[in-house]
Amino acid sequence: MPWELILPSELNSLAGEAQPAIQLPMDNDAFAGFYERSARSLWAYLARVSGDAALADDLVQESYVRFLCATGSPSVAEGEVASRRYLFRIATNLLRDHWRRPKSSSIDDIPEEFFACADGSGQSDSLAMLGPALALMRPRDRQILWLAYAEGYSHREIAEVTGLATASIRLLLFRARRKIAHLLRNPVQSAPKGAANEMNHLNAGRQP
Amino acid sequence: MTFRSCPHESEIKALLERGHWPNASTAELRTNAASCRVCSDLVLVTQAFRGARAASVNAANLNTPGVLWWRAQLRRRNEAIARMSKPILGAQVFALSITLLTAVGLVISQAKHGLHWLSWFGDAQQPGGFRLDSLWPSAGLTSILPNWNLGLLIPALAMLALLGGVVLYLASEKQ
Repeated sequence: MPWELILPSELNSLAGEAQPAIQLPMDNDAFAGFYERSARSLWAYLARVSGDAALADDLVQESYVRFLCATGSPSVAEGEVASRRYLFRIATNLLRDHWRRPKSSSIDDIPEEFFACADGSGQSDSLAMLGPALALMRPRDRQILWLAYAEGYSHREIAEVTGLATASIRLLLFRARRKIAHLLRNPVQSAPKGAANEMNHLNAGRQP
Repeated sequence: MTFRSCPHESEIKALLERGHWPNASTAELRTNAASCRVCSDLVLVTQAFRGARAASVNAANLNTPGVLWWRAQLRRRNEAIARMSKPILGAQVFALSITLLTAVGLVISQAKHGLHWLSWFGDAQQPGGFRLDSLWPSAGLTSILPNWNLGLLIPALAMLALLGGVVLYLASEKQ
């Protein structure tokens, strides 16, 4: 029996001089297109839900690498919507893992931009209004609110991304929306100083 | 908190998703949105999140896709190597354990019938004194398997260890 039949295909590709590329769910060009169309919205999701732009940078990269490496990733034929949903699911799991880890609270870890002032542009008004309110919400509520109202996902899609039951999404979303609407209407009473600073940090140094 | 819904909610939601709110909406819907708590929450929250999203997507500082593609290739390659090394290691451990068991069996068998190691070393120093038979007791494994001689038994055990390792490797690789 020839060794090529016994050894796994990966070894053959590694042993040969002309090494073919490892099989990924998308080719390079398809991935580049998918990345261009989805990366910014994924970054926005991670940055707003975590309140940390640097963390969002890291998690975006890790999400795409895991997406390409995962054996269950949707292929090009399954459509971009499925790929996008799978990507958000990976990012959500990464964010959850990050929250489970113990945090460092040294002041040296806080970047200087954290203390910068927000600019007065029109789009930043939305952030200045939403940021402090979002910071007061529970992480899970932030996730489902962003997916529903920023990304426009249905209850079923949110359930797929977050791993929660579809039936409970409706009630969770209703409660979270009621709460954040209250916080948006009464920003002065409810927003702590730290929450405003957190969102200012996201804006500062990120303007193109 | 009681769960309430409004009959106009889905209509307003569709207009918000298409970006047609409030310009393309009817006066009735606008009046409803102003008075209904559910619909006013929907409008307020959706507009806040859409505005925040529009601001955030421009703030993203992204890598080139080629870098991520290369990192994914590298990770897949490393995973493939790790996957292949695992069954090979298992086969090696199995072969080693079979060899050790055989060696221990031989030593025990030798010990039961008296140790002749010293006399073997003494014979080996003399020219033409090296004889494998002197190591083996007359009532050793050959007494258990009378039709086998040592010349067949040892290669058979070695072959068993080798084949066992290959079988274990193939079984692990398939998992």
